[in-house]
Amino acid sequence: MGDKSDVLQGTLDLMVLKTLESMGPLHGYGIARRIEQVSGNALTLNQGTIYPALLRLEQRGWIKSAWGVSESNRRAKFYSLSPRGHRQIEEETENWERTAATMARFLAPSS
Amino acid sequence: MDWFCELLSRCSALFHRRGLDLDLEEEVRTHIDFAVEENLKRGIPAAEARTEALRRFGGLTQTKEEYRMQRGLPFVETLGRDVRYALRQFRRSPGFTLTAVLTLAIGIGGLTAVWSVVEAVLLRPLPFDAPDRLVRLHEGVEHMLEPADLPAPDVIRFARDNQTFTQVGGYISAGFEVSGAGKPFQAKAERITAALLPMLGAQPMAGRVFTQQEDENAAPVALIGYALWRERFQANPKAIGATIDLDRRPYTIIGVMPRTFEFPLDAGRLSQRDMWVPMSFTQDEKQDETDDFQYGAIARLKPGVTLAQARSDVSRMVAAIEALIPPQDGIHLTSDVRFLQEETIHSARPLLTTLLAAAGLILLIACVNLANLLLVRAAGRRRELGVRVALGAARKTILRQLFTESLVLSAVGGALGLALAALLVRMAAVALPDSLPRLGEIAVRLPALLVALGLTALTGILCGWAPAVAGIRPDLIGSLREGAQGAGQSRRQQRMRGTLATVEVSLAMVLLVGSGLFLRSFQNMLSTDPGFEPQHVLTASITLPEHDYVSAQKVDGFSRDLLQQLGTLPQVNSVGVATNIPVIGINSDRNFVPEGYSPRSGQNWLSVSNYFVFGDYFRAMRIPLVEGRYFTPDDDRPDAPLVAIVSQTAARQHWPGVDAVGRKFRMGGAPKSTRPLIMVVGVVGDVRQGALDQAVYPQMYEPLQQSRRQWETEVQLQIPPYRSFHIVLSTASSPMALQATVEKTIHHLDPLLAVSDMQSMEEVVSATEISRRFNTWIVTAFAAIALALSLLGIYGVLAYSVSERGREIAIRMALGSTRQKVLLRTLREALTLAGVGISVGVVAAIGLTRFLSSLLYNVKPLDARAILGAAIVLGFCAMTAALIPARKAASVDPMRALRTE
Repeated sequence: MGDKSDVLQGTLDLMVLKTLESMGPLHGYGIARRIEQVSGNALTLNQGTIYPALLRLEQRGWIKSAWGVSESNRRAKFYSLSPRGHRQIEEETENWERTAATMARFLAPSS
Repeated sequence: MDWFCELLSRCSALFHRRGLDLDLEEEVRTHIDFAVEENLKRGIPAAEARTEALRRFGGLTQTKEEYRMQRGLPFVETLGRDVRYALRQFRRSPGFTLTAVLTLAIGIGGLTAVWSVVEAVLLRPLPFDAPDRLVRLHEGVEHMLEPADLPAPDVIRFARDNQTFTQVGGYISAGFEVSGAGKPFQAKAERITAALLPMLGAQPMAGRVFTQQEDENAAPVALIGYALWRERFQANPKAIGATIDLDRRPYTIIGVMPRTFEFPLDAGRLSQRDMWVPMSFTQDEKQDETDDFQYGAIARLKPGVTLAQARSDVSRMVAAIEALIPPQDGIHLTSDVRFLQEETIHSARPLLTTLLAAAGLILLIACVNLANLLLVRAAGRRRELGVRVALGAARKTILRQLFTESLVLSAVGGALGLALAALLVRMAAVALPDSLPRLGEIAVRLPALLVALGLTALTGILCGWAPAVAGIRPDLIGSLREGAQGAGQSRRQQRMRGTLATVEVSLAMVLLVGSGLFLRSFQNMLSTDPGFEPQHVLTASITLPEHDYVSAQKVDGFSRDLLQQLGTLPQVNSVGVATNIPVIGINSDRNFVPEGYSPRSGQNWLSVSNYFVFGDYFRAMRIPLVEGRYFTPDDDRPDAPLVAIVSQTAARQHWPGVDAVGRKFRMGGAPKSTRPLIMVVGVVGDVRQGALDQAVYPQMYEPLQQSRRQWETEVQLQIPPYRSFHIVLSTASSPMALQATVEKTIHHLDPLLAVSDMQSMEEVVSATEISRRFNTWIVTAFAAIALALSLLGIYGVLAYSVSERGREIAIRMALGSTRQKVLLRTLREALTLAGVGISVGVVAAIGLTRFLSSLLYNVKPLDARAILGAAIVLGFCAMTAALIPARKAASVDPMRALRTE
């Protein structure tokens, strides 16, 4: 986790995984919208960037994809979490908590 | 694990790019549709809903591009694109491509082929079990015999008394007349001790090897080689257990050795043995202390034993043997132990390293040539590259593409080179001189392939880099300004190309000088007088089987009848038999002591190469008489005085400054020998004992009928008669026409006798020239290739320089320069290139040719004629190559050139 883009990439990955965990199978647009909503629109995301991220997660075997039909009766690709994805979330969450805690200590008023 | 999944998925994505693209298309479209739908729901006007959706999505194309980068292997895809681009470029300039690919193929193919040979002969371990632990034992006599092989009793002693070997195996070659399996023939066999094959780890492909018991009891059993099994037994498994007659004694075949088995690993194809029989030392051999150093011995070192320990062990045993010899004989035995591998390849090393160096030079020239070609090409494409840079192509991309281009070129050249190598190797297995060991094993092997591929890649990088740098360095924008700077701008590149061409010329010069030295050596060899006249002389060899020719009387009777019957044949002028013939490389050394000879310390043994002759041998061979007389039939009488004829060198060495005729000597080595005195009655010219490029050795001739009478009276009866002869006939017409008649005459006397090596003496002599002829031919071929490549280099540089300077030349002509001056100017440029190259080449050659000295004959490595000749050839050819561009330059039409530029 060296440079900035890696951190951001890792962030987006975890957001996607977490979204799928809480929402169940979802298409790309749904995921993008959900991330925007959860972040309280603090994060303005180029929605397109979600797709390379989804592909990366799928390549690593953390999520699966399948074509399906949406509520509005549109053909869309649905993504869902794989068992390895679940494990990955635990790992990543732990990482994040550790990083966040470390950062918090640095940013504490005493310094 | 995760990265591996990712890699797999990326790889598989390479193969369904189109389907995945469609998927992505659809997914993105759906995304936009969802967004538009939501926007509409939120009450955004239809016209803006779509724009808004696209805005939120971000760049469509960027996203897709990013997605694709994540999906496949961008590196591979770029490479594929670059390769396709390169191929398209090559298709557009077939002349350049063909030249470049051929240049590379020749360089790579040549080196791979030579490497394959070197690998088979020099580098590959011997085809035996743990070959690095096998050593060969040697024994010699101080001041007389360099460590050679062993006397038979010492093979037994070493096997019994050593402390450093797990096993010792002995062997000696033997010839057998084989009958009972088709037409009788003379087979090449090896007598081997029972320990030998197990020690080498050699197994028969069928049957078994013989046991220690069979060896000791002289069991008549034989192992046959694969070739013999195929030819004489039609590869029938029933051959095992069958009986064949060797020298008219029945032997049982107990095993067939595999096709790849070869022992001993002597040089040449012709040395391969047909069969192996038990050594079964005879009583005579076991007691033979007459220093018959002819029995080979190989041993396997005990684990942990070093070569030095083995050496001291053997010298300890040799010292014990020496203690048995009366000290007054003044004999000091010497010994040596060498690794078998080292010894097998020893003599082949100089030639093969030379060939490897030559092939390496060729590849180097090929690389330089290719670099030059690519450089010219890159310069020619400067404008194109300039446009591309101006249009925004990254320098990195252009460098990468030039790099890929040269790699592709190397790959194609490499593939073609490999095909060429396969062809050459197949040819080499047939054409290589017999002086190399293990010829049967030559094939393009994986290591050779890897070397070639490595070189190909390296060549690509080296040749790709130089032009790439040159193509990018100059002011690209400037190059767009149509010819504004003319020739001035490319001066830097022109200089670089000139340097490369000079390098090529100097490398070619080195090879040409080498080739000149080889040619001069070969010429010297051909003009060497063999000492006899090989024209119209037929020779054949026979061996009378001991079984049927027990007594000396019977042997003598046969040879007398043979000479008599052959002598009466029409077309035969004179006929003789001898125990040896010239140029076949066999030196039957014998020691002798001139009467009144007082040994100086350190040089108490004299030896000569010895011939026993019968009949009109000298006249048949036309060996000139220098002094005294030839032998006469009177010398063959049982009571005739003992006489001998010596060669000029022998006379000069042993009776210096005096007339040798009338001098007397005794055979045998010890000065106090009691053998009868023999008188020299004639001096004849020297004959060459080995190939014509080998040193002269002194010879001595004695009448065959006197051979036993040279011994002390009491042992004469125990000396076995000579049973192997060479028949020599001088004929009035073509000797080959007499072959059938001669064979019929011999079979008339003994229908079973195998007649071998029937050939004209001219053939015998030319067989000794084969290896030098081959060396000369191949080095000259290499030099010719180098010459051609370097001429191509000079031509390329000049042709390009002329085409680029059309404007300059036109201006010169417009200002009054004549066509002749333009022509001379271009030629002068070529002369400068060639001159500098030749000078550098001469210096390099002077430094390098001394490594060739062991391969040359009567030529010094710094032979002025070879160097001068090479310089003249190269200079002349360079001028010829320059003539085409020079004339083109002279034919420039000033008006047209100035108008178009």
